[in-house]
Amino acid sequence: MMLDFFTAYRPLFDVFLLHTGYALGQYIVLRAGVFSVANAGLAAIGAYLAAGLTLKLGIHPYVSLAAAMLAGMAFSLLLSWPLARLRGVYQAIATLAFVQVVLSLNIFAERVTGGAMGMNGIPKVVGTWTLLFFAVVTIYIVTAISATRLGRAFDAIRQDEAVAVSLGVSVRFYQSVAFAISGAIAGLFGGLEAFHGYALEPNQFGFAFLVAGLSYVVLGGRRSVIGPVVGTAILVALPELARPLAEYRMLVYGLLLMLVINYLPRGVVDTFIEMLHRRRMAARQGSGAGGKS
Amino acid sequence: MIAQQMLNGIVVGGVYALFALGFTLVFGIHQILNLAHGGVFMVGAFIALYTVLAGWPLWLGFILAVIGSGLLTVLIELTAFRRLRESGEAEFGAIISSIGANLIIITIAQKVSNTLVLRFPFDTFPIVIYEFFGLRVSALQLFIAACAFVLVLLLTLYLYRTQFGRQVRAVAGNERAAKLLGINPNAVFFQTFFLSGALAGAAGVLVGLAFNSIHFMMGEPWLLRGFVVIILGGLGSIPGALLAGLLFGMIQTMTVAYLPSGLTDAIIFSLLFVILLVRPHGLLGKPEAGAMRGR
Repeated sequence: MMLDFFTAYRPLFDVFLLHTGYALGQYIVLRAGVFSVANAGLAAIGAYLAAGLTLKLGIHPYVSLAAAMLAGMAFSLLLSWPLARLRGVYQAIATLAFVQVVLSLNIFAERVTGGAMGMNGIPKVVGTWTLLFFAVVTIYIVTAISATRLGRAFDAIRQDEAVAVSLGVSVRFYQSVAFAISGAIAGLFGGLEAFHGYALEPNQFGFAFLVAGLSYVVLGGRRSVIGPVVGTAILVALPELARPLAEYRMLVYGLLLMLVINYLPRGVVDTFIEMLHRRRMAARQGSGAGGKS
Repeated sequence: MIAQQMLNGIVVGGVYALFALGFTLVFGIHQILNLAHGGVFMVGAFIALYTVLAGWPLWLGFILAVIGSGLLTVLIELTAFRRLRESGEAEFGAIISSIGANLIIITIAQKVSNTLVLRFPFDTFPIVIYEFFGLRVSALQLFIAACAFVLVLLLTLYLYRTQFGRQVRAVAGNERAAKLLGINPNAVFFQTFFLSGALAGAAGVLVGLAFNSIHFMMGEPWLLRGFVVIILGGLGSIPGALLAGLLFGMIQTMTVAYLPSGLTDAIIFSLLFVILLVRPHGLLGKPEAGAMRGR
């Protein structure tokens, strides 16, 4: 019974794990106050590099995965340098331009990437357990980072850059670190996606991918690590939970984005955590007052 | 040959200017990047097409498209932006919210059109070709150029020569000060969003006529290229969007004509990236518009 359930929903679970990675990659930059949407391009670089290295040069898939991760990180660092000068909306547009350049070069460089046809016959070496392993490790690392000086610096920059600067937090340095981590995650999960699905096609990492990554974080929340994970779970499971709505999936998606950003701007998880926190504080104050009397 | 390409480029550029004007107008005045602008553009083409298919004349379709797209954008303002603006964190929120609105619009259009690529009936616009000094111009191209020119002129007159326009620009300069002077900012919002949508709708009809391929995803490439135009011109700058639209139309036509076809997008978006690095406030934008960090 349990096993049936698992086999039936296994593909969905795989998608959830892959997208958890993408969501965390997006989350790291947003948390550090950078409005970058470069992850779609970085994931595409990771996926095509990993698949290309193994298919064309016969390199071991795990070495290719490592290369994908490093490439994602390197490109992301390169991007972070000029982007540090720009502000909010302009960063978003510049990174969107980067994604478009990657996607169009990908279609143009037919000999290397297969162009509009994409790549086929990629060995499927990544299964559910491997994905689960990498997703858990990524969640762990990101959580660990959050608890350190790095996480606090990210929060300070996001909440008020001027205050962060006055406290001696180097915005440029910490945002570069956020870019590097985010790029490594995007590259790695791009590579994992390549070795998970036999084939790659260029539109896989297009505008829809970029929107999905942002949505996971917005829905779940930008503060806690668990936020983007829950956001991914909800949005990936949504079409399955509401089968009759499957045709209107994008409509529901859009409606959800509008409602959440307007009425729960901190996202589902962060709002919930804050509520619990407030209740605990209220309870503590209540008992404190009771003790005095 | 080059002259012919330039001419084609100017016509396309006029439509880009029309599309980008509304896009940059809303940003310039409200600091809102409305990513549903591409969806509104598509709705404009749809309204004109269905009016013509229902047996009514094209000019009626055009007017309905302009009004309908304008009202749709006002609706987007009310549902997607108004609350965010009051909460203060509008910049990030507006992008997400308008992506949501765009998804809703696109899904409905997909349902209405059954995911098909639609066309205007063959004789919607008379096919006449004129020759001047060896240059070939179709009546449709002349019509597109004339429409773009008239609409842009009307918008400029409206913004710079009327009382309403003065109010709009006052709100853009300083919303609090404008309020103190007795200007109702909500009325200004209504107007700017309506104008923005109306221009996008007009651009949609013209593009629908010119390329005769109308489908629910037609807004996406225009939205992405619209970014290039508004950044090149200077985000929020109206003369900038005009100049950049024309320039961009020519750049695009030239790259398509003289360079490997697959490279067009790569070149256009590399250009966008480079502009943002070298001159983020664009050709005619003001440096104090806040592209750079305050350090």
